[in-house]
Amino acid sequence: MIATLKILLSLAVVALAQTAVLAYMVIDRVQLLKTGREITLPIIPVDPRDLFRGEYVRLGYDISRIPMTLLDGPLAKPHETLYVVLEKKDGGAWQPVRATRALPSDGNPDRIVLKGRAVGSGSGVRYGIESYFVPQGLGPKLEAMARDRKLAALVAVDKGGKAAIKGLIIDGQLQYEEPLF
Amino acid sequence: MSRYRTRVERDLAQWQSAGWVSEAGVTAIRADLAARRSAVGAAGIFAILGAVLFGFAVISFVAANWNAMGKLARLLLLLAALWGCYGGAAYLFARRLDVFAHAAVLGGIAVFGAGIALIAQMYHMDAHPPDGVLVWVLGALLAAVLVRSNAALGAAFVLLAVWTYWERGLGSGPHWAFLALWAVAACVATWLRWRPGLHLAALSLVLWVVPLGFLVLDRHAHWLVAAIGAATALAAVGLRVPAIERRIQASQAMFAYGVAVAFAGVFTMQFIDGVTHYGAYASESTMRLAWLSALTLVLLVAAMYWALATDNRGALWIGYTAFTVEIFSLYWRMLGTLLNTSLFFLVAALIVSALAWAAYRLHQRQAPAREAAV
Repeated sequence: MIATLKILLSLAVVALAQTAVLAYMVIDRVQLLKTGREITLPIIPVDPRDLFRGEYVRLGYDISRIPMTLLDGPLAKPHETLYVVLEKKDGGAWQPVRATRALPSDGNPDRIVLKGRAVGSGSGVRYGIESYFVPQGLGPKLEAMARDRKLAALVAVDKGGKAAIKGLIIDGQLQYEEPLF
Repeated sequence: MSRYRTRVERDLAQWQSAGWVSEAGVTAIRADLAARRSAVGAAGIFAILGAVLFGFAVISFVAANWNAMGKLARLLLLLAALWGCYGGAAYLFARRLDVFAHAAVLGGIAVFGAGIALIAQMYHMDAHPPDGVLVWVLGALLAAVLVRSNAALGAAFVLLAVWTYWERGLGSGPHWAFLALWAVAACVATWLRWRPGLHLAALSLVLWVVPLGFLVLDRHAHWLVAAIGAATALAAVGLRVPAIERRIQASQAMFAYGVAVAFAGVFTMQFIDGVTHYGAYASESTMRLAWLSALTLVLLVAAMYWALATDNRGALWIGYTAFTVEIFSLYWRMLGTLLNTSLFFLVAALIVSALAWAAYRLHQRQAPAREAAV
């Protein structure tokens, strides 16, 4: 009886711990989407015709390549964590102005920090907002809208620089917003 | 019937006909063997297979990007599946159907991994995918420790290998973090006294060590891999003193893995890394190859000799296989360059004959000793 109780308890702890991990993943994300600062980043379509045809698409941004001169110190190693400081220019576009290896503290409201990882040893940076799983049934619709039009991603950014896709903007209109749950 | 039982049955028949074992003795031995039947029968194997298939079903369900339901419904379904697996395990443990219970635990671990992937997909997470595998490994290890589940530990080792493989593909240096987590998992395997788990530990470590030469020092440091393997094999030889049964068993396995790693190192040096050398360097590399291959063959013969002397079948088979692979690779490289075909086969034949002679002598030496013992 004791042995059965013990194993029951152990299984409950395992199930609880794994549930907690999954719940943390969701809550952390929802928190970021809800409270993060919103910025709009133009998407560079790799192939506009095929952009939303697949189940998930890869998105490219202006800031996916940054001039290497922005980074102080030696060249970035592949997969090294980098913080890219973006500055809001006239017209609302965000442009990279600096890249650092530690989280910079910058109170300037026209600036925002994005956390990313270096791609290769070149000037590429991934911010974790490059994959988009297209909701079913939405692909053809989005694709029709995206043809020859300007696409952008609405991105939420938290204080640590973590970024998440919040929605898609086509021709300045928010066309699809991610439900939180 | 297990291999051990088949062998005992065969020997029993012989011993009985020779009159060394009485009729009653044979019956007693058979009864003892029957009582020691392994818990993992066909039912257990099918249960584990079922759990693995169930896991694949859940994972491909996720991969299919199921969108008919809302996010919340999907999350709830996922949690229901998770708790269903562990609840089912609890029920099966209570009914003393331990093998099926462990299969259910394995199913729970699969659902946990699918959950990580699904949530990453639902929220477009794209930061660093191996981190997801790392979390999965930790979940499997937790289940292995708390539930004392061998199946969960096996899953943890497989996932550890996937994790380090992925990190190696993305990173540039050796994946040191693997060693820390591997050590934890190996401790769990020791604590559970699960021998296949120790083999899984050794295999996952071998998979980490072999490519190390491409990642450290000048990125051609395969001699280091060979040295690690050779040192392991030598340490295994040393482990036999004092000759306690457990130490000897550990030594047998360690020796076999050491030989495999050492051979992987010298093989990479000879045939994989920097094969395409031209010009002046080509002749230098031919000399280097000649020396290395001679050294490899001598060491392999020595390893096989030791394996024969210590009745280490695993190491002997690794030795045979490595020897064959080495000879064929040499043949392929040397064809039409250094040696002509017949000379090559002559050399190979001489080496193999020497090996046969050595084995024969060893047998001769052991036979009188055995007779004296009788």
